[in-house]
Amino acid sequence: MDYALIIATALGAIALYLLLPRGRANMVKLGGLASVLAMGVGITYLIHWTAAAHAGHTGIIENLFFYAFAALALVSAAGVVCHPKPLYAALYFVLMTLAVSGLFIMLMAEFIAVVLIIIYAGAILVTYVFVIMLASQGGQTPAAQYDTNSSDGFMAVFVSFVLLGTVLQAIFCAGPAGFMHSLPAPHAVAHGLGSLEVLGANLYSRYALPLELAGILLTISLVGAVMIARKNEPVAHVLGTGDLPAE
Amino acid sequence: MQTFGNPMLYHYLALGAALFTLGLIGFMVRRNMIMIFLSTEIMFQGIAINLIAFSRYWQNADGQSFVIFILTVAAAEASLALGLVVMLFRRRQTLNVDTWSEMQG
Repeated sequence: MDYALIIATALGAIALYLLLPRGRANMVKLGGLASVLAMGVGITYLIHWTAAAHAGHTGIIENLFFYAFAALALVSAAGVVCHPKPLYAALYFVLMTLAVSGLFIMLMAEFIAVVLIIIYAGAILVTYVFVIMLASQGGQTPAAQYDTNSSDGFMAVFVSFVLLGTVLQAIFCAGPAGFMHSLPAPHAVAHGLGSLEVLGANLYSRYALPLELAGILLTISLVGAVMIARKNEPVAHVLGTGDLPAE
Repeated sequence: MQTFGNPMLYHYLALGAALFTLGLIGFMVRRNMIMIFLSTEIMFQGIAINLIAFSRYWQNADGQSFVIFILTVAAAEASLALGLVVMLFRRRQTLNVDTWSEMQG
């Protein structure tokens, strides 16, 4: 058991519970304070843990990029979950995608980082934003009640953070055989780990069949999305009769 | 092997677990259908961080290949889910999931 970890998790749970959109009775400032406290305790714990594992060396300067990207990802993920306006939440999601792809670059997965930005920030989020704008007609109407008031969510936050606490205990209390390993140094990593060459060779040799199945899945979902989202109009008079539709 | 220059494995595992938890809470708490599906994308990214960290740790590209598959599934899921959302929005003119709570089966 590690009490600092429990304190950080509990603070995070309180912060997220306070930050959830709740109409007029918003407690954003209190929740923000609690989330800053939670992240402070968490980062301090990580630094102390690193110092214990590395004989006094905290690595805080070297890990500055990690802490910056991690804090950005966590803050913007909380923004997605807690912002009452869907469009702003989608923009927070773009910010989170950028932070995560920064972490991928630190992990020497450069191609995946770029693909993540292209697919998530470029394709998926544009679709989301289109649907959000389609569904919120009329520019100046007040925000919908189901956006400004979330479900109560006490049990959701409680259960999720108990899950998080359990996972973190499993990570940090696994002993020397667990996850205390440092990652291999960049110059010791096999050549071209994040490159398209290595990834493509792996995808087309070892995972060739799953790759074909992924292509089939994309085709099916394309057809399915078109079938689901079209309007329910009779189209028989246009298609299949041999006549051209009227201009 | 002294490698202070980069974060260690547990840094990334803890961050991935935290992102997954935030997405899970968003999935259960939000009442807007679009936001529910956006929360699942947060969970996908938390898992992708885990996979990439282990790929770096074991120095092979399997984890990165799995992230490619996760991206594929995420794109398919987003297109189908948003098609469903558009269809449901046309029926009731609202995005509130509670209006569909009496759905049977």
